[in-house]
Amino acid sequence: MIEYYTLMHKGNCDEYTDNIFMNFGSTVTVLIIYNGENELPLNEDEKTRVSTYITGCRGIPFQEVSAKLKEYLPEGTAYMLIHINDSLINIERHGQVYASIIKNGEIKLLPNGPFSIEDDDRVVCGTAEFFRYLSQPAILSDAITAESSEEWMDNLVCRISERNQLSEGNLTAVTLIVRKDSDTKI
Amino acid sequence: MSDMTLMSNEIRALIAYALILFVVAVGVFAYFVYYYKTKVKKPKAEDSSLVLDVAYFHERGKRARQEDSYYISPMDESRKYGLVACVSDGMGGMRYGDIISQYITDAIKEMHPISFFAYENNAESIRKISNMVFDEFKQKGGATLAMVQILNDHLTFYSVGDSDIILVRNDEATILNPRQNYVALLIKSLVRSGKQTQIAYSNSKARALVDYMGNHNPRVIYTKKPMRLLDGDTIIVSSDGVTDAIPYRNIPKYDARTARGLAYNLKLSVKQKKYPRQDNYTGVVIKLQRSIV
Repeated sequence: MIEYYTLMHKGNCDEYTDNIFMNFGSTVTVLIIYNGENELPLNEDEKTRVSTYITGCRGIPFQEVSAKLKEYLPEGTAYMLIHINDSLINIERHGQVYASIIKNGEIKLLPNGPFSIEDDDRVVCGTAEFFRYLSQPAILSDAITAESSEEWMDNLVCRISERNQLSEGNLTAVTLIVRKDSDTKI
Repeated sequence: MSDMTLMSNEIRALIAYALILFVVAVGVFAYFVYYYKTKVKKPKAEDSSLVLDVAYFHERGKRARQEDSYYISPMDESRKYGLVACVSDGMGGMRYGDIISQYITDAIKEMHPISFFAYENNAESIRKISNMVFDEFKQKGGATLAMVQILNDHLTFYSVGDSDIILVRNDEATILNPRQNYVALLIKSLVRSGKQTQIAYSNSKARALVDYMGNHNPRVIYTKKPMRLLDGDTIIVSSDGVTDAIPYRNIPKYDARTARGLAYNLKLSVKQKKYPRQDNYTGVVIKLQRSIV
């Protein structure tokens, strides 16, 4: 089971223009789209098409979802697609969206591809804007002290707030924790 | 070209011996090179460990009493049990701040040797210490606690309140432990309503602690897994008297080759600021360096 917590904050912008689409099941699908300085936000049609597809993508193999997104998203879109269940994470990123994994007290940036994961491994994925003020040791120490994905995110946001009072761009991120314990609530 | 037939038999024999000796010498040399490369075990990073260099400062500032306390476990046992270092900062303006902080560090000392991997039990023991303070002092005072334990290449830490555990790595300082103060709660609430957080910092109670040693069953923040340390890392456990005077991000500027040098630089720098309301300031500096053993 995957415990998760999402952050979508507009910062000092008029609107929140990044996007997160998710699909929940034994495998969780996360799609983060980053509307950075060099990217145009998705138009309503594109957003609806992607949202509808992700909503119905349960059980569809990762490669297939990935291929479909390439078709649906305009070229040059910065995004990250994640499939995660309690034994495997599969990632595909384009542009300035990143993910780090916390495993055995160490933090590593996740490259594209599938990786095995185990109980209590923790993953944070977010946009470049989210990670701007977060050092690797900060992400790691917040991960290994947090009781939940929500607390982990709260602590990360406190660190960002300490630097900019959340007065810059949109902040978009997801914290994920692998829980083999079936009692864990999502 | 020289004519070999003009050489005497003795000279030819000498040249032949010299050639044979040369070939044997080259062969032996090549063998030793091969042997060294394949058989002789070279020290790897895993065979080495991080050597700890520890120093501290413990100064009174402008307060009437020293309300900070610290404890450093015996260095000669650090290879076996790990090194424990903690700082407790008595809550200012309350009656028993100094006694309570000393009580806490004495209680941590009583816990020696502390099991490195028993995080939950250690956190529970710290909670019990807080409950003992609660029973004895009836919330007429309290203190923070920031404690680290370092064993080989790994760090665990425990924290209640807002004292700091700072990691300096690659000239960048990071406070590792989340602070349990009111501003963190305000930020959480503002973020959930989609707002910016400037207002949280201007709140007069922003720095008030929401948990502390001396509270009943406080939340002990602790590492659920050890954190890997690297060659060249520096850990500083300090009271907020240090980071109020020197913003933590500036700490790398005061770095020195030894823990003693860094501790001295920090102490001197706080002193030189001459803040009229300088809080007590205490810091334990631990530098880690790779050493082949």
